[in-house]
Amino acid sequence: MKTQLKFTPKKVLSALGYVTILMVVSVMFNPVYGQANKTSSPEISQKERTIKGVIKNEEGPLESASITLKGSNVGTTTNSKGEFVFPKALKTDDVLLITFLGYDTVEVKIKDDTTFINQMMSEDLIEFVGALNTNKPYKSKRPN
Amino acid sequence: MIRFLFLFIFVFHSYAQISDFDGIDFKKADRVALKYKNEKLNNLPELAHNLTLNLATDVERFRAIFTWVCSNIANDYGMFSKNMYKRQRFKNDSVKLKNWNTKFRKATLKKLVKNNKTICTGYAYLVKELADLANIKCEIVHGFAKTSTTNIKKIDAPNHSWNAVKLDGKWYLCDPTWASGIPNPTTFHFEFQFNDGFFLANPRLFAINHFPANKKWLLLDDANETSFEAFIESPIIYGKAYANLNTHIAPEKMHNVIRKNEIVTFKFKLKDTVDVKNVRFLIDNGSNSSNISPNSVTTKNNYLTLTHAFKYRGFYDVHFYIDKDLISTYTFKVKS
Repeated sequence: MKTQLKFTPKKVLSALGYVTILMVVSVMFNPVYGQANKTSSPEISQKERTIKGVIKNEEGPLESASITLKGSNVGTTTNSKGEFVFPKALKTDDVLLITFLGYDTVEVKIKDDTTFINQMMSEDLIEFVGALNTNKPYKSKRPN
Repeated sequence: MIRFLFLFIFVFHSYAQISDFDGIDFKKADRVALKYKNEKLNNLPELAHNLTLNLATDVERFRAIFTWVCSNIANDYGMFSKNMYKRQRFKNDSVKLKNWNTKFRKATLKKLVKNNKTICTGYAYLVKELADLANIKCEIVHGFAKTSTTNIKKIDAPNHSWNAVKLDGKWYLCDPTWASGIPNPTTFHFEFQFNDGFFLANPRLFAINHFPANKKWLLLDDANETSFEAFIESPIIYGKAYANLNTHIAPEKMHNVIRKNEIVTFKFKLKDTVDVKNVRFLIDNGSNSSNISPNSVTTKNNYLTLTHAFKYRGFYDVHFYIDKDLISTYTFKVKS
């Protein structure tokens, strides 16, 4: 016996519904969309993540170095092992300032794949001198 | 014609200095500095941020940094004298001098963070670091400084550091160490005494007791013609000169030889008007000192001109005072 396909209006509607869902799903998981994401990356770069790191000098870990988000007062300092966990989740293109008195300040830009910062600090080679001012009146040396 | 030239030099030509910012009241910046008093130095970016956040102009932001450094960092006399002694001792041994400098740098920075104490390079360094963090261009200037107790014959290597700062496209000078205070002359204990005059001072006045290792930091048009010898020969000016004077014009030299009854002219450009009754000399002839009123005192357009003649032969130390403020010292050898 031959089966005959009958297109009742109800069946047509439900088929259309499935097609619509399928289309929406295929758009959502479209691999092309994912690739576009990788190059222009508005989604991933905005994804905030926790940044950790370690700060050292030529002798080893640097304790009490400060790490601050540029243009803000959000920051932290390193522990005795030179380690830190930045208190605020960061996104790509954020800039961290790493400072330690007597060392050159370092700016680290957060890249797409940055999660850990390993930073060596170099000493600012300054020579310390000092002349004090005084309000003691000048006195000529006179032969007695 | 001479009058015109005079006007041209002193009125039309004005160097980059505090008066460029006459419309700005620094009280707000000073209040911000006061608010963060006793803040420690372990987080400079945060300190720089806090000091500058609510201020509208670069000059106010820099002022807050300058005032903070000058009122929170103490001058360490012990460190200063130890360093001077070692540098003098090792001055002909470059290896030992280098080792000392490295060791001293580390100790100095440690002390600065831990105790908020330093010597002048520490002040200049801190001002620069904080300014850098606030995106204000600032340099440390190393050079020679001269005070009433400087042994001029021994001044063979830079002994002081100060700052140059770029504001609205122009360079200005300031000396945070000398602005912070002075050691008590008898106990040598440092006493905070903020002297606003060292903030963006007139380069002409600054050059009387500061001579940079690199002459470009004189910030003078005639920097190339300005010699170290002229600096050494210039009069002694005190901290209070910066508080009272825009600049010092005459006499140009510390040591002067004149004849009996010869008229000597003293000329200054004032910051504010003064009561001519309060202008005096303290003259020391070697056996006693006495307060003497100048023969004549005139003020015109903020210029103060004094004349004086010595009646007797002798050798005199002449200290110039405005009220209680000691401004400058000269010596006069008076011949018959």
